[in-house]
Amino acid sequence: MEGFLFWFCGSLMLLGSLMTVTQRSAVVSAVWLIFAFICAAGIFALLNASFLAVMQVLVYAGAIMVLFLFVIMMLQGPELEGERKLLKLPMWPAVAVPPMAIAVMIVGYLQNKGLTQWGPDAPESFGGPNHVAELLLGKYLLAFELISIVLLVALIGALAIGKDERKLPWK
Amino acid sequence: MPIVLESLAKIVFMFLLIMGMVPALIWAERKGAAFIQDRTGPNRAAIGGVRLAGLVHPIADVLKLVFKEDVQPEARHKAFYNLAPWLAMTIAVSSYAVIPFGDFITIAGRKIPLVVADLQVGALYVLAVASLGTYAVVMAGWASNNKFTFLGGIRATAQMISYEISMGLALMGLMMIFSSLRITDIVAGQGDMIFGFLPKWGVVVQPLGFILFITAVFAETNRNPFDLPEGESEIVAGFHLEYSSLKFALFFMAEYCHMVVGAALIASFYFGGYQIPWAPRAVLEANAGGLLTAKLIGVAVAASVFALLFLRRAQKEKNKFNDNRDREPVLGAGLWILVAIGAAGALLLKPWTVGPQGAEMVATVFQISAFVAKVVFFAWLFIWVRWTLPRFRYDQLMHLGWKVMLPLGVANLVVTALVMAFV
Repeated sequence: MEGFLFWFCGSLMLLGSLMTVTQRSAVVSAVWLIFAFICAAGIFALLNASFLAVMQVLVYAGAIMVLFLFVIMMLQGPELEGERKLLKLPMWPAVAVPPMAIAVMIVGYLQNKGLTQWGPDAPESFGGPNHVAELLLGKYLLAFELISIVLLVALIGALAIGKDERKLPWK
Repeated sequence: MPIVLESLAKIVFMFLLIMGMVPALIWAERKGAAFIQDRTGPNRAAIGGVRLAGLVHPIADVLKLVFKEDVQPEARHKAFYNLAPWLAMTIAVSSYAVIPFGDFITIAGRKIPLVVADLQVGALYVLAVASLGTYAVVMAGWASNNKFTFLGGIRATAQMISYEISMGLALMGLMMIFSSLRITDIVAGQGDMIFGFLPKWGVVVQPLGFILFITAVFAETNRNPFDLPEGESEIVAGFHLEYSSLKFALFFMAEYCHMVVGAALIASFYFGGYQIPWAPRAVLEANAGGLLTAKLIGVAVAASVFALLFLRRAQKEKNKFNDNRDREPVLGAGLWILVAIGAAGALLLKPWTVGPQGAEMVATVFQISAFVAKVVFFAWLFIWVRWTLPRFRYDQLMHLGWKVMLPLGVANLVVTALVMAFV
């Protein structure tokens, strides 16, 4: 059962990410990205990381992608014009990632042929909110807080770049 | 294998509960609107003269929607246009998976908890599913390729982002008090008493959180006073303007499913879920025989009263319409007499001598009834509010979300934390 779910979520996730980078319309791309995020949440759930799985849906698929869609739709994101030919060179690395991931999956499958257990060797409470909270607000507290400062810096940077320089609050 | 059957049975039960409530709610909405606006409401559709006080109208609605032509705009985005109604419905019903509708029952020695999926992070799952609900609206609005529908979708996005945060903050206080994200734990914790007499319901320990949560739930269901994505007076019908026939029916049903979900969430988080106040499960089981007897007698008496009322009406209005509708009171009286006879007949089986297995069943049935009663009450609250309050203006909506509810939510959280730390 776990094996089936793994291949199910994994292959759909790859499909989603492939479609994200090959669509012409930005809106359709964003929707495929949401799909890939939800499949990734499925993988997290398979790994007993229930908190992470729900957070993946709540934060990434839910909140962040809604903002993405909002902005894309408001600005009427561009439909890629031009004839249907293969993408230009700079896009190739992006397109090459999913096939490489598939290759990794196939190699992994061949190496682990005959493996019966797909889930991790972890107790049920492993990925739960209590455990995550203990690590995040205990052992990794400093890193956690530093990351939030990094996000704040990015936020201020975006403000500084986006706003007219004379109207900045500190000028 | 039994675990699969168990889950299947629970899923089917929950699904039937929702799907049964949808037409009933549509009826209640129309009758409630009529009541509040001092009208009679729907009473024309009939089967063989029986109108059931308008309950036949949902059936007529379904027939109409099934046979209506499915008009689609030429310039739609085909895939998203077809996907959106399906997505709306799927997301609306998937929240039910984590809501407990009863404590447990024992069948063949197995203790079965009455919740489809008892997730460790159930409360977060609810928030996650709620946040996905917007996509159906946004997709419908965008794929219809119409300015009005598009505005509806954009409004839904902005509204969802603004109110989801308050919803999470309100729930956080509750999670702290019951120190769990598992909904069954939260519901079980509400069976306790404070000072020995006050039930420890969420609304008692988190009154401000309750107000924030119920407001956010109203916003998430896109119902008045938060139905800006539809906004008939400004953007025609908003996101579902270009939908007709069964696709529209799916959106319509999804709205009512959201209502039932919202009502079930409010009941589970803030009103003790399936818990009956001052009557914990042990008390219910100990007095199961008496409760069952009392219930049967009550049903028999109530049914007899209804039957008498119908008989009186049948006599008074014998030739009121001079058509099939005159049969209605007679049929109603017959039905209630049957119910009364059934309840009285069940008394012959000596329900007061119920065994331990039966006692457990009785306790479970009483708890499920309590849950359903609470859900029905809050579903009625949705209808009540919709026909009482006018729609917000867009700037009022944003003001309420960001400048009122968000600070209140943070304050609630801080006060809860301080009280828990020092008291």
